[in-house]
Amino acid sequence: MNKPLTAALLFAGLLAAAPAWAAEEWGLPEEEVARFEAKVVDVLCELTGDCPADCGAGKRQLGLVTDAGTLVLPVKNFTAFSGAAAELIDFCGKRVVADGLFTTNRGVRIFALQFVKEAPDGKWRRANRFLPKWAEANGFQPGGPEAKQWFRHDPSVKAVIGRDGVLGLGTEADKDYLEKQ
Amino acid sequence: MRKIAVLFAAVLMAGFGASAFAAAGERVKVTGEVIDSWCYITEIMFPEGSAHHQCAVWCAAGGIPVGILGDDGTVYMVLKTGDDATSVANPAVLEIQSHRVKVDGALYKRDGINYLVVDRVLADEGIVKVNHEEWGVQPFGK
Repeated sequence: MNKPLTAALLFAGLLAAAPAWAAEEWGLPEEEVARFEAKVVDVLCELTGDCPADCGAGKRQLGLVTDAGTLVLPVKNFTAFSGAAAELIDFCGKRVVADGLFTTNRGVRIFALQFVKEAPDGKWRRANRFLPKWAEANGFQPGGPEAKQWFRHDPSVKAVIGRDGVLGLGTEADKDYLEKQ
Repeated sequence: MRKIAVLFAAVLMAGFGASAFAAAGERVKVTGEVIDSWCYITEIMFPEGSAHHQCAVWCAAGGIPVGILGDDGTVYMVLKTGDDATSVANPAVLEIQSHRVKVDGALYKRDGINYLVVDRVLADEGIVKVNHEEWGVQPFGK
């Protein structure tokens, strides 16, 4: 095999193997793909001055303050029904490069975090740390069926839905509704 | 003297990591539905009332910011409830998902988002938007 062909095949192979560390489009309202540097902050601290040293240890909403001073609220991560605090808490007080989607609707502009790395040259990570953290906290395997459908196995969810029903109107209301289906 | 006071305040803020933006909020009372902010803002599904209750509980447990949809259509992001500064998967907030509530607290507006520090829940009417007959159970059925 000649050298140029070998090099081209090697390059193509590398491209195919490399993860695409760039945001996927999700078709959200007024969606904008974005990558920017920002500092990770505890939003409550940023607004009120109530500032624990650890940004609330993952139990507070975290924000991204850009170099222009704009406070961006990351509402979503890359896994089902989960937010961005679990993805950003490791970077409390640090600068990161955030990659994802802005969406603006109903008068509000929010951010969905898909990838993040410590700025400027950290290693990219997909914003899906929520699942292994949830699995570890709840005694399940990170890649197991419970983690994949964490929302159906979460103890706090099961307690509320078990008592109030899927509809939130009591289990009898669930039963009446489902009998009609 | 004033310079010394400003310097002292700056040192205090630096010591506690507080932002230069930190300030007292505007006292407000808000009445509306406790919502999942992601589903409501993005409209990826029908996001209100009994039809969306289960999904709203899932999202709150997953750490998506819980909001209050005010009667005038304003969305408020809840950062604190009473003495509890937890706003990620707060069990007490899961209990009132989709409920119509009246709260008082402090409002902070920053970069187009209304953030609410709730001091007290003054009234909790439970779920008043009973709309699952019309919308089904969002997003997957039961």
